[in-house]
Amino acid sequence: MRRSIRLTSAVAGLTVIVAAATACGGGDDSGGGGGGGMIRASWGDPQHPLEPANTNEVQGGKVLDMIFRGLKRYDPETGEAKDEMAESIETDDQQNFTVTIEDGWTFSDGTPVTAASYVDAWNYGAHIENAQVASYFFQFIDGYDEVHPAEEDAEATADTLSGLRVLDDHTFTVRLSEPFSLWPETLGYAAYAPLPRAFFDDHDAWLAKPIGNGPYEIESYQRSQSMTLVRYEGFKGKDAAQNDGVELRVYTDNNTAYTDLQAGNLDLIDDVPASQLQNAQNDLGDRYINQPAGIIQTVSFPLYEDAWEGEDGAALRRGLSMAINREEITSRIFHDTRTPASDFTSPVLGDAGGYEEGLCGEACTYDPDRAKQLIEEAGGLPDGRITLTSNVDTGSHRQWMDAVCNSINNALDDTGACTVNPVPTFADFRNQVTGREMTGMFRTGWQMDYPLIQNFLQPLYYTDASSNDSVYRSEEFDRLVDEANSEADEAEAVNTFREAERVLVEDLPAIPLWYQNGTAGHSERLENVKLNPFSVPVFTEIKVS
Amino acid sequence: MPDQQSDKTPFGAQEVAAAKGLTAGTATAPETTAARSLWTDAWHDLRRNPVFIVSALLILFLVVISLWPGLIASRDPQRCQLGRSLEGPSAGHWFGFDTQGCDVYTRTVYGARASITVGLCATLGVAVLGAVVGGLAGFIGGFWDTLLSRLTDVFFGIPLVLGAIVFLSMITLTGIWPVVLVIAALSWPQIARISRGSVITAKQNDYVQAARALGASNSRMLLRHILPNAVAPVIVMATIMLGTFIALEATLSYLGVGLRPPTVSWGVDISAASDGMQFRNAPHILLYPAAALSLTVLAFIMLGDAVRDALDPKLR
Repeated sequence: MRRSIRLTSAVAGLTVIVAAATACGGGDDSGGGGGGGMIRASWGDPQHPLEPANTNEVQGGKVLDMIFRGLKRYDPETGEAKDEMAESIETDDQQNFTVTIEDGWTFSDGTPVTAASYVDAWNYGAHIENAQVASYFFQFIDGYDEVHPAEEDAEATADTLSGLRVLDDHTFTVRLSEPFSLWPETLGYAAYAPLPRAFFDDHDAWLAKPIGNGPYEIESYQRSQSMTLVRYEGFKGKDAAQNDGVELRVYTDNNTAYTDLQAGNLDLIDDVPASQLQNAQNDLGDRYINQPAGIIQTVSFPLYEDAWEGEDGAALRRGLSMAINREEITSRIFHDTRTPASDFTSPVLGDAGGYEEGLCGEACTYDPDRAKQLIEEAGGLPDGRITLTSNVDTGSHRQWMDAVCNSINNALDDTGACTVNPVPTFADFRNQVTGREMTGMFRTGWQMDYPLIQNFLQPLYYTDASSNDSVYRSEEFDRLVDEANSEADEAEAVNTFREAERVLVEDLPAIPLWYQNGTAGHSERLENVKLNPFSVPVFTEIKVS
Repeated sequence: MPDQQSDKTPFGAQEVAAAKGLTAGTATAPETTAARSLWTDAWHDLRRNPVFIVSALLILFLVVISLWPGLIASRDPQRCQLGRSLEGPSAGHWFGFDTQGCDVYTRTVYGARASITVGLCATLGVAVLGAVVGGLAGFIGGFWDTLLSRLTDVFFGIPLVLGAIVFLSMITLTGIWPVVLVIAALSWPQIARISRGSVITAKQNDYVQAARALGASNSRMLLRHILPNAVAPVIVMATIMLGTFIALEATLSYLGVGLRPPTVSWGVDISAASDGMQFRNAPHILLYPAAALSLTVLAFIMLGDAVRDALDPKLR
């Protein structure tokens, strides 16, 4: 369920970028319209209204990242969650937290940001009647089941989360339903942003021109056309904007945006069209950015099928993993916009956050001879052949699937061993996966919700977890995850998660393929352009010359 | 003005002389060969038509390599080395490599089979279905003619490509047969109309009337007297359509509803090659299968033209 939402959002997000929206594509009205210190950047129509808890794709997230600051903020370079508005978040038992916020912050309409701004916003985001797409972020808070029952058609039995309590203007307490030591680290996500009274008092006016507490405020917003953001002078945070503002222009075709960038009509695109990847390095030189994002692509196996059970099944999966030449595929098919994966997380976590290069070891290293040997020892492929299933409507899936199958076929010296089974649409494909209809390998991908190792492991491989598509069950893995979640020390928790990850390397319920990169290109006017771990440009730090 | 006139006169004279020589030549022919049927007559013409010879040789070549592609391509079209992705032509790999690192030459050769098979089978289907429906409508006449003709009109009204996309995207079968069936099911009305017309024309001939007067059965009249004299336009039309069916197969494969990988076909390869603007960086992967496709379609259309010239004396 959660995976499907998130994957949809990942894919939808990508498609939104790929198909980013509208008419001003020609850019003819732009001639120098950027004004002195304004950044002209490409944008796509947000999929949902710009409410913080109702945004789970990149285009809306881009704006929220500019107009809101929450308790924590993920460091654009390391991905580490640092205190932003939070003065302190204290706990003794990893379950009850006391949050104190800094004094003096205001929304851009002049009203102060208080503890109630947070509690009201979270209650709004969690409540089932508000139908917020990211409400599952609040599931850790006690009382979530009452305001957002899991059963279909069920009605909420409470109006607010029982785990939230305002103590005074600057303090509130949070009680989680179970210990979760890394919970404060999740608070950098936009869904946890505070909301001004204006949001509740005149909702429609707020949606037409959202008001936040971030480094920028919205000056004007024409849906499907453009949004102009200017520096918010009353901003209290550490990362005040280094430029006058940002003009976001909606493009329906990112090829048009790319052409506009080359022609000097646009300053920044944050997704280089797939068809231009091969040329971007030549066209843009050092103005082309290509760096890991928090997305990992994997191939999963239906462990509910007899053929994939037991030791032979594990050996078979290990053999298949070793038969895939990740380096060659990422360079030839993706033009180095993917990085071969060697663990189950993502490089954006950083070493301290739980990423460990090479953790997967031999199992993720291309070795066709050993692969063939392993597969033969395990009794060969089930019925001598295997399929690789995925939707093919987005993201050049067809091409890499062909390449993966060819790689396996070459290793096994049998051109008919692996065949691609394309499913026309993403929805069809996910229905088949969640309906447990798979027989061979199938594509799985994961876009992180927050840069935590927990987010890459627990929702995917914990027994009966929402996105455990392989139907993987391991008592040892579950035990280590539980242990890590109740660990008081953050570094210890990360280490215990790593131990759990090593269990995955042994069992290989899924094989890591590659980490997805974020790509961007900018004009010569801009300096210091970076992408954060969510592949969104760090607008505040951009300098305009 | 006078200049032009003086130019024209000798020219015209030459033409007349040439025409006379020609008629003299053909006029003498019947004396040497005894009673020539339409078919031997046509064959006699075809043998002397360079267009026919070139296209026939080309088609013979295509048929041979689609039956035995191994004759001129020793590699496996499914064996690809990604490491050589998009490499240009080199010794031993004359056409270079495609995105997946498959040998373009091998794939182009193996692609002939799918295209030729689809073309031939669809044409056969169209010819049989169209000739039967059209022939019966023309021969029986009356109510059945009206009914069958309206049915033909209904199918005639379905746009070919649109109809094929709709049908093919609904069915889940893969392979060449769905494509063949859909093409045949949507293209027969053209043949049906032509064969209906020619059957009606043949029916009114004196020898048919005579056979009827002598009490010949319907089936004897149809098979002995009408069919041999009505089938020529159908053959001409079918030969020309064959080329367009091959192009249609490629179109459908390009659109993703026709043949699908791992079937090797020109349409599939063209589709893969045009994906993601590869043309800018590696034109060879698009050009070779496209050239093979054009050449094949051209060969069949030329053949159709030559056959029409030979079979349809009115056009001469």
